[in-house]
Amino acid sequence: MTIPTDPNGTLERVVESGQLRVGASPADSALSIDDGEVSGPLAELVEEFADEYDAEVDWTVGGEEMLVQGLEDGDLDLAVGDMTDASPWTSRASATRAYTQLPGLEGRSTVMFLPMGENRMQAALEAFLDKEVGG
Amino acid sequence: MKTLGRTDLPVKQQDAIRSAIRWEVFTIGYTIVTIGVIALVLGGSQAMKTAWIEDMLSLIPQMSFLLALVFIRREPTRAFPFGLHRTMGVGHLVAGVALLVVGGTLAVEAIGGLLRQEHPAIGTVVVFGRTVWLGWFMIAVMSLIVIGPFFYGHAKAKLAPVLHNKVLYADADMAKADWTTTVASIVGVAGIGLGIWWLDGAAALFISLGIMWDGFRNARAAVLDLIDQRARTHDDKHPHPLIDRIVADLEMEPWVDRAAVRMRDMGQVFHVEAFVVPRRRKIAVADIERARAMVADLDWKMQDVSIIVTPSLPDEAVGREG
Repeated sequence: MTIPTDPNGTLERVVESGQLRVGASPADSALSIDDGEVSGPLAELVEEFADEYDAEVDWTVGGEEMLVQGLEDGDLDLAVGDMTDASPWTSRASATRAYTQLPGLEGRSTVMFLPMGENRMQAALEAFLDKEVGG
Repeated sequence: MKTLGRTDLPVKQQDAIRSAIRWEVFTIGYTIVTIGVIALVLGGSQAMKTAWIEDMLSLIPQMSFLLALVFIRREPTRAFPFGLHRTMGVGHLVAGVALLVVGGTLAVEAIGGLLRQEHPAIGTVVVFGRTVWLGWFMIAVMSLIVIGPFFYGHAKAKLAPVLHNKVLYADADMAKADWTTTVASIVGVAGIGLGIWWLDGAAALFISLGIMWDGFRNARAAVLDLIDQRARTHDDKHPHPLIDRIVADLEMEPWVDRAAVRMRDMGQVFHVEAFVVPRRRKIAVADIERARAMVADLDWKMQDVSIIVTPSLPDEAVGREG
């Protein structure tokens, strides 16, 4: 058992299933969506994170509210886009620390959303982002 | 500080009051530091938040003690013929009500979080280039600050009976029990770390019920004194022993047949109404004045003593049989 751990076992499930379910909302050049195809440097960063756990990213495209709902319902493990640390959704989803050097979103205090209280998953993601783009 | 209103303080009480002021100032400083440190590590834990707000609330009795001291030392005036001793009781009441209301709000918040099954989120921080779970820092901070209240709690608990000060006593009592709050917040954060999400809400509920209980006890004690219950000891456990002492001493006077006392607690000092039934129909003014002086000299807390000569003792006054 690791501390912190996920009450709902998100990271464990990602490792076991080899699948990271990520919700994407468009974010300028960082994350673009064409015909349901997700691309851009932010998307690549998320795929690298999945790769660390030998998982593939299963993208779901939607608006922020839909993605937050997906996190709440347990249908998504992560939501990315152009959300900042001033986002109003933080009572329904857990936001990471703000990162100002995410590829394509430099200078903005961007956060990613996780299901509430999946703290191992959040620690893993934040550690990855600290390593890749700095705090 | 040598006097309280009209009362000259004995040396022991003068020292105790200086010491109490120093401890209260130290406690306020210490608490402000802990509030600041906890703010640095505050995350999504409801238990931490509750413990944090409790720390802020604990400043109210300390500040009201210091503030009331400014007023209770003033001499009685025409406008305030009894002095301003009740300010201590008012401060006590305000502190009690604040604890009760905020404790209640926090309890409702904790219960709501548990019912909605909100899973508390605690992220990480970067320290010296390493990503560390913030929960570890919460536990470290709380383990450090658990120590302080033991020292100042016991120091103030020693001073409270010397000064017969109920605000100081309640403050000391809360400080001595403060470790339960700190331990509960550690349990809550550890629960989050172990994935037992409800442990955080349960710890928050435990802490907030403790705050409410403190609030209830303080408000109750303050109200009972403000509505002039019979004077009791500083911990409210027993009727004050001076009552029996006054009755016994008055009945030793050769001209007194029977005596009974009504004594109320003004917050720091007492008001005594002593009823005496004389043996004969005529009594000397000098006898009455001597009896008054004797009662006033019994203890430094005797602020106002009235001797009332009466043909029979009122039922509500405490006589020899208690």
